Amino acid sequence: MDPSGIFFTRYETDSALVRTRAQWLALALFGAALLLYPWLASPRLVAVANLMFVTAIVVVGLQITTGYAGQINLGQAAFMGVGAYGACVIEVKFGLPFWVGVPAGGVFAALAGWAFGLTAARIKGFYLALTTIAAQFLFVFVVLNLPSSWLGGVNGFSLQAARLGPIVFDSDRALYYLFLASVAVMVFGAFGIVRSRHGRAFVAVRDDDVAAGMMGIDVAGTKARAFVLGAFYAGVGGALWAYQIRFVSVDQFTLFNSIWFIAMMIVGGLGSIVGALIGTVLIRAIQETITSLGPDIVQLVPALGSDIVFASMNVFLGLVITGFLLLEPKGLMHRWNIFKAAYRLWPFPH
Amino acid sequence: MTSSAALATAVDAPVLEARDVTLRFGGVTALSEISLQIRADEMLAVIGPNGAGKSSLLNVLSGFYRPQQGSIAYTGRDMQGRAVHEIARAGIVRTFQGTHLFPHMSVLDNILIGRHAHMRSSLPQSFIYFPWAQREEARHRAFAEDIIEFLEIENIRHQPVGALGYGLRKRVDLGRALAMEPKVLLMDEPMAGMNTEEKEDLARFVIDVREARRIPVVLVEHDMGVVMDLADRVAVLDFGRKIADGTPAEVQADPVVIQAYLGTGA
Ligand SMILES: Nc1ncnc2c1ncn2[C@@H]1O[C@H](COP(=O)(O)OP(=O)(O)O)[C@@H](O)[C@H]1O
Ligand SMILES: [Mg+2]
Repeated sequence: MDPSGIFFTRYETDSALVRTRAQWLALALFGAALLLYPWLASPRLVAVANLMFVTAIVVVGLQITTGYAGQINLGQAAFMGVGAYGACVIEVKFGLPFWVGVPAGGVFAALAGWAFGLTAARIKGFYLALTTIAAQFLFVFVVLNLPSSWLGGVNGFSLQAARLGPIVFDSDRALYYLFLASVAVMVFGAFGIVRSRHGRAFVAVRDDDVAAGMMGIDVAGTKARAFVLGAFYAGVGGALWAYQIRFVSVDQFTLFNSIWFIAMMIVGGLGSIVGALIGTVLIRAIQETITSLGPDIVQLVPALGSDIVFASMNVFLGLVITGFLLLEPKGLMHRWNIFKAAYRLWPFPH
Repeated sequence: MTSSAALATAVDAPVLEARDVTLRFGGVTALSEISLQIRADEMLAVIGPNGAGKSSLLNVLSGFYRPQQGSIAYTGRDMQGRAVHEIARAGIVRTFQGTHLFPHMSVLDNILIGRHAHMRSSLPQSFIYFPWAQREEARHRAFAEDIIEFLEIENIRHQPVGALGYGLRKRVDLGRALAMEPKVLLMDEPMAGMNTEEKEDLARFVIDVREARRIPVVLVEHDMGVVMDLADRVAVLDFGRKIADGTPAEVQADPVVIQAYLGTGA
């Protein structure tokens, strides 16, 4: 809903994402802040931001598969891994640059997503959840059992820094801009998808797949597409991750990570792209705070020992999320929309 | 058969036809050897008491249920084995008993769902959005707005459907079906649960669909009174069998129909 007094005379304007001058201004300021950030923040905080960017892409993909299309996916980390390994193979085996490797990583993951999407067309809920968990194990199994000259086996895979002409992305600051641009493209694309026929079909299949079919939507195909797309995002995120860490191994892409992605999506709000971004930033921020506070606490109270401190930190984080699910099950975006609607109508509820 | 009779059937060729359809659920026979023709440019009412098999018949016609026996022909082609969404895209479109709208979507988006099969943007085109997907959206938005105007629901176009009252929801349901540009429209008890005013409103729209848009309509009702003014022809179901098929006047005077409606207790 718009502030009262704002009307549109063209359909293009009515469905535009940024609609008022104030919104454009806010977006411009936010963009400027993002561009300046690496010069204002400490190197560690720049690295944290990079991690958030990578994660955001992966969680936006999950949001499309699960939040929009309603297809549970507990294997998003595995798809991310496929993208990371894909980028490595493209670079190491074929000597192609990162701007081939990153989209290719996305495509490899999308192919894997397609295989699971075909399954999703036939099964629902709990069984689908189990199948996507199987993706995690299948991924590890395949990487570890292929000849180690192919994917590195247990030793993992190293790769060179990304380079574009004279620019070498070997510092966190340089990577920051690469990742920021990638997030911008992927988020823009996600908005395009969700406000077009595909996004509506996703929601239709989620809300009522019987009616969706009778409205001429290919339900099985739509579910498969939701998986393909979500996995593509995971793959792109994974490929970027590979260029950040420059070392890839299977234990970076665990079921545990997949569950974190789901937590981020839920905390931000199911069925909202912005929600996926907010959830990612919030949970990553809490995780980072906890990891950096841990050593301080151990120093302060040495009797506790680092094992106990880190374990209880994780328990604390788990409690934060559980509390969230209980108190704000629809996520932060939902609360924000309520606030916004109330504020716009205030003081005249009309 | 004489040549003039053959000619008459060619001109009057049914758009949609059930041929000797039998549908069972375990021991229950929901439809028993039903043959029914829907001709171009007519409004056919299907009436019958609760449990007579009316919804089952629509579900068979729209491909959602597969009959154990018999077949469905659409413009002469056998529809056997087609997926539900293919049948819908071919032009057999329905509204639902109760509502099967998408509650979290706005009225406009629900109607745009009806445009889905007419839109062409691929995933990559939607990802890039400008200019193809945006242009396509605007074009189909204009189509949807015509329907919104026709159904007089302009002021609620951005509201989520879940927040609307029953009468308005049924209107949106009709709008979504019309957005698909149906060749035949199947409506399952659209007026059940409505007050008189809402019924009259919806009846007006249904008459317009049939007369201005020239779409043949199959209107399922369980209340006989509602359809007698609207329908060109009435088929009566009882316990899964077709017990009458004729003009409203003929059907109303039919002793078998009267018996079915008044019950055998009389
Ligand atoms: N999906 C189903 N499973 C089992 N029985 C069904 C199903 N659908 C309909 N029936 C049965 O078929 C008969 C006809 O139902 P229905 O077509 O809904 O009647 P109507 O729409 O005329 O009220 C009823 O006896 C009903 O119980
Ligand atoms: Mg019924």
